[in-house]
Amino acid sequence: MLVTGIKSKPVYAPLQVDTRGRYHLMLGMGVGGAPLLRVITDMRAIAAQSLLSTRVLFLPDSAATGVAAHAVQFETAGVADVQAFSGTPQLLDRFRTLLSQSLMGTRLYVAGPESFIGLAMKIALEFNLNKDEIRAEECGTLARRVYCIHCRATTENVRTNIVRCVGCDRWLLVRDHYSRRLAAYMGVMADAEAPGELPPIKEVFL
Amino acid sequence: MNDAQTITVQVVGIEQVTPLIKHFKLAPVAGGSLPVFSGGSHIIVVMQRTDRVHKNPYSLLSSPSQLDAYEIGVRRMEESRGGSHFMHDAVKVGSRLEIAHPVNLFALDKIARKHVLIAGGIGITPFLAQLEDLHDGSVPYELHYSVRSAEHAAFLERLRRREGDKIHMYYDDAGLTIPYQELLAAQPLGTHVYVCGPAGMIKHVIGTAQTWGWPDSHIHWEQFSAPPVGDAFEVFLARSKVSVHVPPDQSLLESIEAAGVEVPYLCRGGVCGFCHTKVLELDGELVHNDHFLSEAEKAKGKSIMPCVSRAQGKRLVLDL
Repeated sequence: MLVTGIKSKPVYAPLQVDTRGRYHLMLGMGVGGAPLLRVITDMRAIAAQSLLSTRVLFLPDSAATGVAAHAVQFETAGVADVQAFSGTPQLLDRFRTLLSQSLMGTRLYVAGPESFIGLAMKIALEFNLNKDEIRAEECGTLARRVYCIHCRATTENVRTNIVRCVGCDRWLLVRDHYSRRLAAYMGVMADAEAPGELPPIKEVFL
Repeated sequence: MNDAQTITVQVVGIEQVTPLIKHFKLAPVAGGSLPVFSGGSHIIVVMQRTDRVHKNPYSLLSSPSQLDAYEIGVRRMEESRGGSHFMHDAVKVGSRLEIAHPVNLFALDKIARKHVLIAGGIGITPFLAQLEDLHDGSVPYELHYSVRSAEHAAFLERLRRREGDKIHMYYDDAGLTIPYQELLAAQPLGTHVYVCGPAGMIKHVIGTAQTWGWPDSHIHWEQFSAPPVGDAFEVFLARSKVSVHVPPDQSLLESIEAAGVEVPYLCRGGVCGFCHTKVLELDGELVHNDHFLSEAEKAKGKSIMPCVSRAQGKRLVLDL
């Protein structure tokens, strides 16, 4: 069963300022604060006036110490509008509202774990943002959202190559096949042909 | 694309719609339906003159749901190499022409949240077909159409009847110009802009959109360049082992074809990149007239688009 080498697996790159943009919208989660701070510092150096049209939506990670201070650092660096959130749904709701009010010329920057990037991209896609309007840098956990192709439930925070589906209890093999629309990797029943026979379960998405 | 794949059509209607533009209806001689196409597509019309062959691209302006006949609009070019004059002067109702299958290099973005269409003069033609896909009203759109004067406003009645207040007209002789800044400064996220018209208009729209931060993927344009005339030159085709003379008023592609060598093509207007040809040897300069190669690629001199580009100098060897 082909698990790796699949083209739909997203590729990320370090965030860079896109000086062609008029408005800059940045989303960060947890350790994603550091790349955001880096890009904001770059922006101050090469296009300081862009900070006036920059917004940051940030979700501090309560488990990590020191990360909460990022929100303060963004403001100190000169970002016009910084908002901190207590949970992903709240942040994404605000993100959706902002996109509905945004104009052409907006650039999106996302930094955080892949699952967070995926959820943000899913919403950006609804607003027809293309690759040349979005930059994303992955950092933090590689835990996956896994979509069960049998019952269509999505299992969150998957760290293992094989996982039990939260919807139908099947053992799912986690593939590299990624859906931008669903913001999830595909999970396929692992022991369909030989019930109970599973490959070793290992933590692979750390 | 090659000539074995053409369709024979008969001219079943001609209407002079403005002092410079004629509207042609082309029906298949064999009867039945023409190939399906999408709004923004063009066809190549093959014009057999006694002394030479012209193959010019024209946008289809008829509805994609109407396949018993295609409709095109042809503007008489002042400095025509002969193609548009042939269509205007020699082609009559009943004339037969060969056409190539439609190709779309100017399609609407299927998941756009809004479309802004900008036309200058004869550049209205691809939009007439595209608009057919926008009538259901699920995606907002607006059309900005600029012409010299009222008598040059081709297909305006047809547009008014169908599009109503979605059309914004600008007449040069009344001093009206499209307010590019206002138009492009405040469009909602997910808007796509499309422009077809004179080179200056296209350049201005692209430049203004970029100034306002539009990414390239949301800017669409189409301009078929007629192959410019230039000095005569010689070219050697390495694989075919033939030497070809390119006269001043014939394109490199036309000259190669006249020598019996086939080059794959789609648009013949410097847009699609299909006739991209490797330059093996060059003593002199390439005169790039296409919109396909980047400035860096043009400077390298390693490739050429023979549909519109030429060469100056002593020797040119192509990988054909």
